[in-house]
Amino acid sequence: MLINLSIDRFDPNCDRGAYKQQVKVEAKENETVLDALIKAWQQDPTISFRRSCRSAICGSCAMEINGEPRLACQTLLKDVVDSNGNLSLGPMFGFRRLKDLVVDLQPFFDSLKDIIPWVLTKNNHDGRMTPEDAAKIENPATCILCGLCDSELGDGREIGPAAIVKNHRLALDARDMLGLVRLQLNRKYPEEMAAFRENLKSFCPKKINLPEV
Amino acid sequence: MITHDVVVVGGGLAGLMAATTAAGSVDVAVLSKLYPTRSHSGAAQGGFNAALSEDDSVESHIFDTVKGSDYLGDQDAIEVLCSEGPEVIKELEWAGVPWSRTEDGRVAQRSLGGAGFPRACFAADLSGHVVLHTLYERALKLGVKTYPEWYLVELLVENGRISGLFVYDLASGRTEIIRCKAVILATGGYGRAFAKTTNAFANTGDGMTIAYRAGARLADMEFVQFHPTTLYGTNVLVSEAARGEGGYLFNNRGERFMDRYAPRKMELAPRDVVSRAIFNEIKEGRGVEGKYVNLDLTHLGEAKIKERLPQVRDLACRYTGIDPVEKPIPIEPAQHYSMGGIRTDLNCETNIKGLLAAGEAANVSVHGANRLGGNSLLETVVFGRRAGRRVVEMVSKETAWPELPGESLERAEENWKNNFGSNSPLDPRDNIFKIRREMNRTMTEYVGVFRTESELKQAVDILAGLKERYSTLKVSRKEEPFNYELIEHIEVGYLLDLSEIIALAALRRTESRGAHYRTDFPQRNDQDWLNHTIIWRGEKGPEFGKEPVSITKYQPVERGY
Repeated sequence: MLINLSIDRFDPNCDRGAYKQQVKVEAKENETVLDALIKAWQQDPTISFRRSCRSAICGSCAMEINGEPRLACQTLLKDVVDSNGNLSLGPMFGFRRLKDLVVDLQPFFDSLKDIIPWVLTKNNHDGRMTPEDAAKIENPATCILCGLCDSELGDGREIGPAAIVKNHRLALDARDMLGLVRLQLNRKYPEEMAAFRENLKSFCPKKINLPEV
Repeated sequence: MITHDVVVVGGGLAGLMAATTAAGSVDVAVLSKLYPTRSHSGAAQGGFNAALSEDDSVESHIFDTVKGSDYLGDQDAIEVLCSEGPEVIKELEWAGVPWSRTEDGRVAQRSLGGAGFPRACFAADLSGHVVLHTLYERALKLGVKTYPEWYLVELLVENGRISGLFVYDLASGRTEIIRCKAVILATGGYGRAFAKTTNAFANTGDGMTIAYRAGARLADMEFVQFHPTTLYGTNVLVSEAARGEGGYLFNNRGERFMDRYAPRKMELAPRDVVSRAIFNEIKEGRGVEGKYVNLDLTHLGEAKIKERLPQVRDLACRYTGIDPVEKPIPIEPAQHYSMGGIRTDLNCETNIKGLLAAGEAANVSVHGANRLGGNSLLETVVFGRRAGRRVVEMVSKETAWPELPGESLERAEENWKNNFGSNSPLDPRDNIFKIRREMNRTMTEYVGVFRTESELKQAVDILAGLKERYSTLKVSRKEEPFNYELIEHIEVGYLLDLSEIIALAALRRTESRGAHYRTDFPQRNDQDWLNHTIIWRGEKGPEFGKEPVSITKYQPVERGY
């Protein structure tokens, strides 16, 4: 089918603001948004966007697809293209735009340092962990740090959403000296946390579902 | 000018392991074309082999690896790999890796191909992902400086010694010079030379080509691993864990055809054996729709698939529309891994002083002619750690800075300028994407699982033509942020060099061993070919030589599964 891609363009060296560029590509409905974007790039190699694994594990191609936070490689065209073949792509909200679909990720990666982003292994750890304890950290450990939750739920003031996810993953680790004490760093009221968990579930590409603790 | 004692190039498992091992003792930085957590190590699913159980033994791991390598692996290196495995897994446990566990709380282990024991330590089917993120956490803890989205362009070598790096910062669009005493290349593989590959877009063999161009020796480049089970069409990886957990392969007649090829190991024969079997079934008309075979997991049940193979299920559902809980999934073999790489010794050192390599980019030769599942992840952490330890020794012993980059820098700047200008292609309709597509098709069709002299010669001719066309292409835009056209241009250049080397090495080796199968020479020939292929850059192109294989305990015998 013919896809009409509408891609946000912005070059800091010459553009005062962003504008939309229309590119038409031929693609199959079972192909991904990333496939279509790569075809567009091959027509106009000046379009900048990140991509790498194309299997939803590296998190590079996080962007706004028809205004929704998604990974381009994980999104099938048939799920997002309207009956006229229209599809709109923009950079993640809430991040400084560097060029076209590329945003500044450094503050996002730096935000992990707002927690203590590593396991502080207990001195008496014996190398074992029960399967039940292992199951508790499995889901939050699937986070790929794509940045979509910071884009969607971050308010720029408190600990960022991805840092909260990591904080939970570490707090629930039976090896960790601080354990649940870490959760005080989240600085969220229980009802705020409940809303956060629900919101996160609704769009997180890895379906991270933080347990209630 | 930026200076560091040591620069690790590549932010995947080998790179982060090396950097976090050296951090604290020397000033080490990580330079990576991606943010480190975006590295392709994260896509590894199956696990890390290590003989942890009382019923398993390091010796048995060594033997399986030697046999799996079709006796081309260096046995001294394999001994290091297998004996350091258990302590590195322990180190990762203390670093915080969220492993899957057994009932008594130990690290869970599963069977992977070619292994006599379930020895792959795993975290569901996200083993690479969780260790990558844990090592990234360790790098944060140790305050390792990273340069994300910086590209290595050239190694600066003065009088046979590393003196620095010529690099490109994607965000600023500018080149920089980094002065350093040692460099560890941990840049991964070159899967993107092939049309069908499990590899990420970033896997363009940068480190291998850059090292080769700087005078480092490559080895065993003809040995390319094709993973038997990738999703038909997209070639997204379906972990060997799917067969390790009990999955079956079926042809269009509903036969578990592996009994014809590996009656004892069946689906868990090594990858070279299974990939050839699948192609043979398809060739002989037993492929489903003539194109693929089925991987059946339905008998494992939903609970086990959810627990052990959640990512495989998710990927299959999304990219094929088939839920493996309900129906078999269509799979085909695709390029997956490079056994060949930058030749190193047991301490990861190369023939250039101050240059080390580890992980898939390196060839210390633990995999020989065929790698076993679970051994590449192990190699990244074992040899990443060794490289990290070695640079600490090197830097503390030799405190003097190498001379400033001089001639090598002039040459690098000259080469860099050559990328730019107005296009004057031989054919006005030519462009970099066309060249990449033709290279990809050539490699998959003529330098794939089955090889013959005539097809390899054809590949060599086509690649030579592509290189000529490539040399006339230029990039018009220069100092511009996030210039992915420039990156594409440079990466295709790397891949063309490597493709030519792979095809020539495959043409030269007139035998079949491990993943290198010549239909015109179907037997292994120990008399002439029980040796490594060594490759270096000559005046007119790659030159080839041989080096003996280290054989300590296990004399080559016929490999049967």
